[in-house]
Amino acid sequence: MNYLNNIYDETPFQTAGPFLHIGCLPNSIGIKNIFKKDLGINPFERKFESNFITISGSVFDGNGEALDDIMLETWQCDENGYFFNDQGFARFVPDPINKKFVLKTLKPGVVKEVDGKYQSPHISMSISSRGINMTLNTRIYFEDDDIKNDPLLSSIEQKDRIHTLIAKKDSKNKFTFDVFLQGVKETIFLNI
Amino acid sequence: MNIKSLIKRNFEKQPVANHSDYKSSILRAPKNNKINFPSTVSEISGPSFNKDIIRELDNDLTLNFSNKNQMPIGQKIIVYGKILDQFHNPLDGILIEIWQANSGGKYLHEKDKNDAPIDKNFAGCGRYITSNDGFYEFITIKPGAYPYPNRGIEWRPMHIHFSVFGKSFGQRLITQMYFQGDPLIKSCPMINSIPNSGAKKSLVGCLDLKKSKSDKVLTYKFDIILRGYNQTFFENRIEGL
Repeated sequence: MNYLNNIYDETPFQTAGPFLHIGCLPNSIGIKNIFKKDLGINPFERKFESNFITISGSVFDGNGEALDDIMLETWQCDENGYFFNDQGFARFVPDPINKKFVLKTLKPGVVKEVDGKYQSPHISMSISSRGINMTLNTRIYFEDDDIKNDPLLSSIEQKDRIHTLIAKKDSKNKFTFDVFLQGVKETIFLNI
Repeated sequence: MNIKSLIKRNFEKQPVANHSDYKSSILRAPKNNKINFPSTVSEISGPSFNKDIIRELDNDLTLNFSNKNQMPIGQKIIVYGKILDQFHNPLDGILIEIWQANSGGKYLHEKDKNDAPIDKNFAGCGRYITSNDGFYEFITIKPGAYPYPNRGIEWRPMHIHFSVFGKSFGQRLITQMYFQGDPLIKSCPMINSIPNSGAKKSLVGCLDLKKSKSDKVLTYKFDIILRGYNQTFFENRIEGL
């Protein structure tokens, strides 16, 4: 059998639009009592929050405006580099006043791949909103980790853009990660 | 060596990022090419959600927000279908979230400034986790079309937003379902951000007249296809079959 002749097309994406909170974060806009709770509020409910790091930042459009009508989702392994399908997912939106998002999570560990290579600690991030026709994907790496040999980062030819994937360390447990959708500082987006 | 990988996306059948007819996309579309790289465990793993997060009425939008003995106004409909991968394997345990406007074309959202009434019996959100055969079903009210500012005032066709979690982060999909026969589909710049006509058509839910007759509710069928995994060879046998 030739399976290659039998591959159907993936359903196309469409923009999530400006009202995505209704479906994805209803409790956050006051639609209570339908879903028990919004998903992805705490990516590691069984871990101590005292061990969490904080990553904050904004998502900027081509005019340099920080956006608040976007939804961010992150997916990551635990502090030892292991993925579990019931933890590691977070979903959040920027604060409508200061336009900053805040992710409180475990700092991910080094991931060993099946081919024996090691990925540097990172968090996968997706961005959906009005005006984004197809959800964007990027990654957050960390300034204080050894990232020289990460397979993805070392494969990127535009070396002067790699810094857009690296969160800046502000203090022991605090990082900043801004995303630029366009312009000279445009973030690297990934075809995952 | 056996490394599972996601089938590469066919961008000819996806929307373009910068579609100038859809004004909001102009300042939000990245200009550089996306970086391609082989799938890693970060993309082929993903969150899964236990069925115990779902309550009985989560997929019935006509009842999950309505006051006692009241119903939202509008045409009651059923939207059903299957979640499949690119080989047409049904995917079970897949979380689907939907959101939509009420029958007057108004969202229960403070940023919706349309001059249309709120329906106090309708929130417009629902969710479901697929069963073994990939099946899902929502009971809802047909959403109204509504005007919005784009190139002057334009009209969005009737639509329901879908957010689908696959088995992995790389399968995640956010899209919209439209309704068969809606004359507003043709001029919608959001649909037309997809250049391929077959791909556009795949977003239209089809009227299922047979089921509409038997269930006595107007029924639309909308199947969703998520990315599949490449079949990899390992010691001369195909993995994953």
